[in-house]
Amino acid sequence: MSRGKELLRYTATRLALTPIMLWLIASMVFLLLRVAPGDPVDAVLGSRASDIARTALRARLGLDQPLLTQYLVFLKKLCQGDLGQGLISEEPVSKIISQALPATIELSLSALIISILIGFAVGFSGIARPQGKVDFWGRIYGISTYAIPPFWAAILIQLFFAVKLGWLPVGGRFPPGLIAPQVSGYLILDSFLTGNLTALQGALRHLLLPASTLGILLSGIFSRALRLNLEKTLQSDHVEAARSRGISERQVILKHALPNALLPILTILGITIASLIGGVLLIEITFSWPGIALRLQEAINQRDYPVVQGIVVVIASLVVLISLAIDLVVAAIDPRVRY
Amino acid sequence: MPKQGNKKITFPSLVFAITSLVLIASLTACKPKRNSARIIVGSTGKITSLDPAQANTFQTLQLLRALGDPLYKLDNNGNLSPVLASGLPQISNKGLTVSIPLRKDVLFHDGTIFDAYAMAFSLKRFTRIGTLNYILGGRIASIETPEKYLLRLRLNRPSSSLQGLLTSINLTPVSPKAYADHENNFLNKRFVGTGAYKLSNFQVQKQRLEPFEEYWGETSKNKGIDYINLSNSTALFGAMRTGEVDVLISNSLDEDQKLALNNMKIQGKLKEGVGPALEIGYITLLTNKYPFNQKRLRKALSLSLNRDLISKRVSYGLRKPLRSIIPPTLKGGKDNTWPSYNPIEANKLYESAGFCQGKQLSIQLTFRSNVPADKLFALTWQSQIKQDLNSCLKLSLNGVESTTVYRQLGEGAFQAVILDWRGAYPDPEAYLYPLLSCRQAKGSICESGEAAISGSFWTDKAMESSLRLGDQLLGQQRFKKLLSIEKKAAEGSAYLPVWIVRPKAWAQLHISTPEFDSSGKLLLSRLRVLR
Repeated sequence: MSRGKELLRYTATRLALTPIMLWLIASMVFLLLRVAPGDPVDAVLGSRASDIARTALRARLGLDQPLLTQYLVFLKKLCQGDLGQGLISEEPVSKIISQALPATIELSLSALIISILIGFAVGFSGIARPQGKVDFWGRIYGISTYAIPPFWAAILIQLFFAVKLGWLPVGGRFPPGLIAPQVSGYLILDSFLTGNLTALQGALRHLLLPASTLGILLSGIFSRALRLNLEKTLQSDHVEAARSRGISERQVILKHALPNALLPILTILGITIASLIGGVLLIEITFSWPGIALRLQEAINQRDYPVVQGIVVVIASLVVLISLAIDLVVAAIDPRVRY
Repeated sequence: MPKQGNKKITFPSLVFAITSLVLIASLTACKPKRNSARIIVGSTGKITSLDPAQANTFQTLQLLRALGDPLYKLDNNGNLSPVLASGLPQISNKGLTVSIPLRKDVLFHDGTIFDAYAMAFSLKRFTRIGTLNYILGGRIASIETPEKYLLRLRLNRPSSSLQGLLTSINLTPVSPKAYADHENNFLNKRFVGTGAYKLSNFQVQKQRLEPFEEYWGETSKNKGIDYINLSNSTALFGAMRTGEVDVLISNSLDEDQKLALNNMKIQGKLKEGVGPALEIGYITLLTNKYPFNQKRLRKALSLSLNRDLISKRVSYGLRKPLRSIIPPTLKGGKDNTWPSYNPIEANKLYESAGFCQGKQLSIQLTFRSNVPADKLFALTWQSQIKQDLNSCLKLSLNGVESTTVYRQLGEGAFQAVILDWRGAYPDPEAYLYPLLSCRQAKGSICESGEAAISGSFWTDKAMESSLRLGDQLLGQQRFKKLLSIEKKAAEGSAYLPVWIVRPKAWAQLHISTPEFDSSGKLLLSRLRVLR
């Protein structure tokens, strides 16, 4: 079978497996929420509501139905793309997600850019003088960013730059005294689109601290991966061959070693993006960033079943799709990969 | 191997570092201009619903107080004073009929007229779907509107606490026109009432309030309020320190941050306003199971609580030790009903129950893991017990997230649990009734009712009739009765009051000093920019 056909078959298989994976995830979330202690009726009405009001709400939410019936209704709606309605806010879950997701994507993308820039800068600096001081401190930096608990780093950075020095806002996504431009939900983009420079400035100032914190914490992965892969690639035969042809060291690194060293980093990038979508919770809580992870945490606390289910399904779908996309990109650019 | 000292490779890193520094410096140096006429008020915790029939958190009730008006308020002397009513309630028919004359100059934010029909609509709606069941407690038999501006309540039984109840912001009127489609369900993200402010924008993290130009009463002294809710205490504290927030409300702030703000006030860097102490912290003991089905063990535990030490260690003395469940600031409240710390007496009681002689009584103390003060309290009390009563008593700690605590409280899941309570209106009944009332009892065990919901399951054979009688008496006779009920509760030791909290608000120096009303709500309309 040709490589193109192999790739096509692999893609089709992965796409066919996606609904099964999502069904498994959705079913697990559905069941786990219902066996967990806590009742959404209590969350909505409080524990002192009358029995009549509780029974009425239970019936309205369909919670008086047998578990199997509830599950089948949930699956049927899910297949129709209906994620339901939030119990507390009574808004469609899709709307709740569409309001929170842009905040997380904005933060994640900014953090990713910062992490790649810092990670590559540190990695390159290390490989330029292997075993030198810069390399030594670069490696210490890389390991430290793995080791530091994110919430601790976030609180320290927040206390120092926002509270002590007062350079940047402590939390939130936008200055409270201003009205945010509302076009796409991506505040930086919306500020550009509306030509609102004050809003842009405000949004950037609020983004800088959480994005930098997350970016710094993630940059260690990239600096270590680049450093290790580049070192390994620089010792390979084709690089030696390039050197022996008299090509400058800069050209050897950038044109011959770097593309090969970047392939594993691309895979790491994919995993990082996928984990970021649902995994920025601690940063979002610390910086009061109104993203999807913070919304998920609130929904869990409130036992808001439809919102938790909806967010988990959407995050799972994004993770599956991003992993697939990265796998395909790696397969497309690396002829050695076989499926 | 690469050449040593390849400067061409490090050059991009240098450029990157310089560019980043310039970008960060430019962003940090340029703070966007804000509208200085508006005031930013910060609080922790999110507001998910603004429906008065559902509101039960401090920050929601605080916001409702700015957006709506109660029928009455209590003045500084604790006397009833009309707000939306035009006079005091007229009680007739042996206390079974209450007539309330209403103001004729009040408009809702949607321009419709406030009258008896609107008030009746709101009360009936609350009776049907209101989540705070105990507020009305089956007192009201019917709500009538004999005249356009006269509301008449027919009661099932005479109720002296009704007057206090009418001050509750939960019973604030809403526009029948705006709530036509929400008569039987909640309207979460809108509020159309009669208050000094109208809601112009609602987000879970931020609410924008504009002065209501046609407000009937004292108009707002500012150009609007941006009410923001941050998810953690540190973020809010930092926002106050850096001036991002003009006014900060103390609810849910960590104790060390409250102390820091207190110190800043002493140093003249902030202004501080303090409200009446109405929030009590207490421990509920499960009395229908071993070990707290034994009264002497409950009493022993009551004597084992060193409130003064705990208050100092946990809150630096900012939370005042409390030995009553009725806040002493309320009419009829006294702070000496529960016994004070007495380890010698406690030791004797443990011994008489067969403990201390090489046998420790082991108790699990549950605290709400998402409430920092509760956790600190639990740790401090555990240490205090270890130091003073180690041979008799051992506390093991159990942190449970608050939603689960409230869900499982009525199921009798917790031997001892730390909770707090703020009455929906400033009256002793709003503290006694939710903890002690019992619909169905078997001996001293409450099988259903508020005492069961509260997780103690404790009652006394004459408790319910005493509560009812207390609700029918007036003046000093009523306060005497309520105090005797509280004494019974202290004797039963099913609840151990720990401390009382005064709401505070801190303001930047360019803002006027924050003021609170008698129900402990910050008066947002009185805040003004001084420069």
